[in-house]
Amino acid sequence: MSGGSSLYVNGDSILHRLAPRAKIALALGVFAVALAFDNPAWVVVPFAVSLVTLLALGGLKNLMRVWFVVVAIFVVGMVVWPAFVPAGGPVVLSTPLLDVTRDEVLLALGRSTRFASFIVTGLLFVTVTSNEEIVAGLRSLGVPFAFCFAVGTALRLFPTLLSATGTVRQAQEARGHDVAARSPIKRIRNYVPLLIPVFMTAIRNVQTQSMALEARGFDTRRERTFYGRRPLSGRDWLAILAGVALIVGAAVARYVFGLGVV
Amino acid sequence: MRELITMWRDTRMIMLVAVIAAIYAAVLIPFNALTIIPGITSIRPANVFPVIFGIMFGPAAAWGSAIGNLIGDVFSGQLGPGSVGGFVGNFFFGLVGYKLWGNLGPLSSGEEPRMDSARQVVEYLVIALTAAAACAAIIAWWLDVLELFPFSVLGTIITVNNFLAAAVLGPPLLYLVYPRVKEMGLLYPDVMREDDLPDVAPSRRQLAATGIVAVSIAWVAIGIAISVGVEGTQFLATTGETFGQGGSVTQQVLGAVGLLVLLGLTAISGDSLSEMVRR
Repeated sequence: MSGGSSLYVNGDSILHRLAPRAKIALALGVFAVALAFDNPAWVVVPFAVSLVTLLALGGLKNLMRVWFVVVAIFVVGMVVWPAFVPAGGPVVLSTPLLDVTRDEVLLALGRSTRFASFIVTGLLFVTVTSNEEIVAGLRSLGVPFAFCFAVGTALRLFPTLLSATGTVRQAQEARGHDVAARSPIKRIRNYVPLLIPVFMTAIRNVQTQSMALEARGFDTRRERTFYGRRPLSGRDWLAILAGVALIVGAAVARYVFGLGVV
Repeated sequence: MRELITMWRDTRMIMLVAVIAAIYAAVLIPFNALTIIPGITSIRPANVFPVIFGIMFGPAAAWGSAIGNLIGDVFSGQLGPGSVGGFVGNFFFGLVGYKLWGNLGPLSSGEEPRMDSARQVVEYLVIALTAAAACAAIIAWWLDVLELFPFSVLGTIITVNNFLAAAVLGPPLLYLVYPRVKEMGLLYPDVMREDDLPDVAPSRRQLAATGIVAVSIAWVAIGIAISVGVEGTQFLATTGETFGQGGSVTQQVLGAVGLLVLLGLTAISGDSLSEMVRR
């Protein structure tokens, strides 16, 4: 269930070498920039920075695992968002059913890019941060160890299960199982044969993984030590400052100067 | 309620939290493209998991559902201020199952949830509706507080969305899975120490469970009624028309009271599956 399934890509880049807390601060900073602005010209910056960094650091394989989600959310957002935002500016698309204005397109584009940016930034974070670092990073922020461990383990397991869902679906379809159906209820029911193998496999491993953990002295009641835990270096503090500056800067630019809006 | 804390002492319960979170996230993410409201909610067949896992894995399902939903939010671009409500709402979505199973008085089958009798299915459906309503009320209230949507919009959509998946998929999944999980010794009464489970008299368990059902459903119903009747939001209004509204003081007060009462009832409630399993 682990090993090659992890999203972490081993490397020696500046981002890899940052302390987990510094990576969390940077990721929050990039999230804040994507969240603060509506104008696609502004939102595309955190998206592009995260995407280029992800690809440069060997995250293409990870991106390929979720590309269909990114594309689907982007496309659906472009179609659905115009219904949620006020019309404004000249009509750029006129159909017998509705007219789409420039502002509606810009806001749809901005918000779809925002969601894509969140996904790519999240992916970048887990690409450069190992499971152990995530646990250590959350622990150093004061989150109880057992909770950190559960979050870290879930982050390690879910890509495996995501892939397993696809594999089981293909296997069942090869046996003649038809997932598609016209009725929504029948369509939901058709997922039963897909869901059972996926989660029974995962749950069956709980016993063996728990025994393996306990055999290695896993105990949540005592304070844990972490291999490789180190104090924050100057580089880490710079990254934390950059993260804070991004959050404050985005808020000031958006809410004080009114920048990045449509 | 103590078991929600003491479960963190047990390695298998912690692993269950992680596995439940991973399963929930893994099934949520591919379906997030089927958007109902962009950035807020989508078609979610994975909504069956908090309910059936809640019945089988108890407190691990509450934490696992909350964490899984958060991971799903991050990896589908839905992370935002609304995710706080999503975390708490999904926590209750997973919590309700084991608090209610066997404690619903005349509606309870008095049997383990094997889904091999009509009474068990009826009991399950009441639990699924209550869990769906509790989750919907918390999230709809939070998004109203954030002035994103009036309560009635999300209250309706999330209740239906949660209930539909849990009602359609839950009984067949439980029928197929419950005996196997029990055989593996992974039901929460088998995993947790007896001392860590709530020791509550049957009458109080029943009172608390009835209260949880009543408060969850009443909160959604009253919230929607205020939103539609007093605040003038059109019932089943398209989400586009209502985006950016909300922030009603009445809803804020109703929600605060609803959440506090729900917490109080949860604190005094117990579970019955542990007795059934050990019988």
